[in-house]
Amino acid sequence: MNLIEKVLAKASGKREVTPGEIVVADVDCLLLHDLSGYLTSKVFEQEVKRPMRYPDRVVMVFDHHFSPPTEEQARVLEENRAFARRHGTHLFDCGSGNIHHVGVQGGFVRPGRVIVGSDSHTPVHGTLGCFAAGLGNNSHAGMVMPFGKAWFRVPETNRIELSGRHRPGVTPRDAALWLTAQIGEGGAVYRALHFAGPYIDELGVWDRWLFPLITIDVGAKCGFIDPDDKTVSFVSRITSAPFEALRSDSASEASATWSYDISDLEPQVAASPTVGNVTPVAALAGRDIQWAELGGHGGGRLEDIRQAAKILRGRRVADGVKFNLVPSSRQAFAQACREGLVEELFRAGCTWFPPSTGSNQAINMGAMAATEAMVSTQARNFPGRNGSPDARMYLASAYTVAASAVRGKLTDPREFLAGVS
Amino acid sequence: MRARGRCWKFGDNIPTDQIVRSDRAIGSMQEMRKHVLENLNPAFARDVRPGDILVAGRHFGQSSGRAVAPKALQATGIGAVVVESAARLFYRNCFEIGLPLLQCPGVTAGVEDGDVLDVDLATGILLDERSGARFEGERIDPFLMSMLRAGGLIPMAGQLAGEADGGRGAGHGGAGREGES
Repeated sequence: MNLIEKVLAKASGKREVTPGEIVVADVDCLLLHDLSGYLTSKVFEQEVKRPMRYPDRVVMVFDHHFSPPTEEQARVLEENRAFARRHGTHLFDCGSGNIHHVGVQGGFVRPGRVIVGSDSHTPVHGTLGCFAAGLGNNSHAGMVMPFGKAWFRVPETNRIELSGRHRPGVTPRDAALWLTAQIGEGGAVYRALHFAGPYIDELGVWDRWLFPLITIDVGAKCGFIDPDDKTVSFVSRITSAPFEALRSDSASEASATWSYDISDLEPQVAASPTVGNVTPVAALAGRDIQWAELGGHGGGRLEDIRQAAKILRGRRVADGVKFNLVPSSRQAFAQACREGLVEELFRAGCTWFPPSTGSNQAINMGAMAATEAMVSTQARNFPGRNGSPDARMYLASAYTVAASAVRGKLTDPREFLAGVS
Repeated sequence: MRARGRCWKFGDNIPTDQIVRSDRAIGSMQEMRKHVLENLNPAFARDVRPGDILVAGRHFGQSSGRAVAPKALQATGIGAVVVESAARLFYRNCFEIGLPLLQCPGVTAGVEDGDVLDVDLATGILLDERSGARFEGERIDPFLMSMLRAGGLIPMAGQLAGEADGGRGAGHGGAGREGES
């Protein structure tokens, strides 16, 4: 069996599971953000009407409406707080960070666990060797909350074998954007994606994170990376809670193996209308942008903040560009403070926002007019998601975002990185 | 289980954000229903009739896994969603709320807006009454058919969890090909 088959077998009390089989498994952690938490709480209290069986496994994080702009959204948060108090669940209030980073930094995500959530990027937790899948409100309210369980169809697994080394100025996010287009939106529907190979082995945990993050956009159910020494020491530094780092048997076979070499890759950008619309930045260089942002489920990491600082050293954000920085967690912000990056980027013209998911949907960092465009490390660029359906959204690496903020136009960052190590 | 009604056709890769805009997701279902799919076809929410069939292309319902997207479609009274392929979470959500969904490769090229479609969910056969064209959709996993018949997941959740507690596991549906997700 591979890693996720082992996790699902253990969680459903079986010796073995096979692809196609439907199992009912114990869930270790349910991650909810303010919006999914609200919708789930209504179904749970109005339709299910049973007690919460394991409140300690339910974690709510206010990261989408981290600064509610309307009375209605403020009310949503108040109702969520009352729900968390009523049932005794965990609650991380506004300013705690992005839901998935809080899940990791809070020690809830550990190898071998079953993690579910309404946020569609929940599969990112396969990075740490979990079986992690997004489910809908009715699964959470109808089975996870009252019974601590969920039903799953055991997925077939595709192995994604990655090799090669980046050229200078190219980052794991460029590789992940490119890979999204290679596999294609809906190119791996219902599959589990096993990310492996020398390229993945070399990456740090927060860079590995960018790969299971894309599984939703290619239609996969989950993605995972077999835990190694890096994973175990990463988790052990965060929590003393026990975990079992299950790994795939070497004999476990994938339904298919897709191999990619990233050695020749250039900086990439995904342009609206969809995340699979990926081209080299060079092909779109010169397009105007008014907004730039580090943030989102995969952005606002310390790695992103450091990249932006490297580009902005000795430079300034262009007039008319708003470059917003959204740390993924309080821990990332604290480390950026220690490294002097917070002041440095502020002086270069950037604006810091609270640790959260940032402008993911036009909820709390403003909307865009039809004539405007944004380049960001966010995970989504669907029309209308951040204001006008005609506003353009480009997804790129922190290097590209920062370089574009300096020019006020989409910019290949390599011209700023010559001679910088 | 059957559905019969007029066809409303949509394109490929439509995200849930286009079915229900995210800023409407905390509003009332009545409000969401009134604006469902409005950016893509404003006539849909206004003129859709109970029993009508929504037809769409590949990877329908991608992006957010919010069940309010299929719930708003269900609130219009449509009889079924028929797609080339559905995003996984959307697929799962439809069955969990009791809204029939059929994956039927080739359907979008063969049906037109306004055609009367007859869908047999048990067999996956779709008939276009105007053109006489017949399409064979994927068979729905027996586990998911039982969920549809129960009216969704919530009415069967206790039984499902209880069976697992009894140590018998879930063994429903066996090796259904396209079962959930």
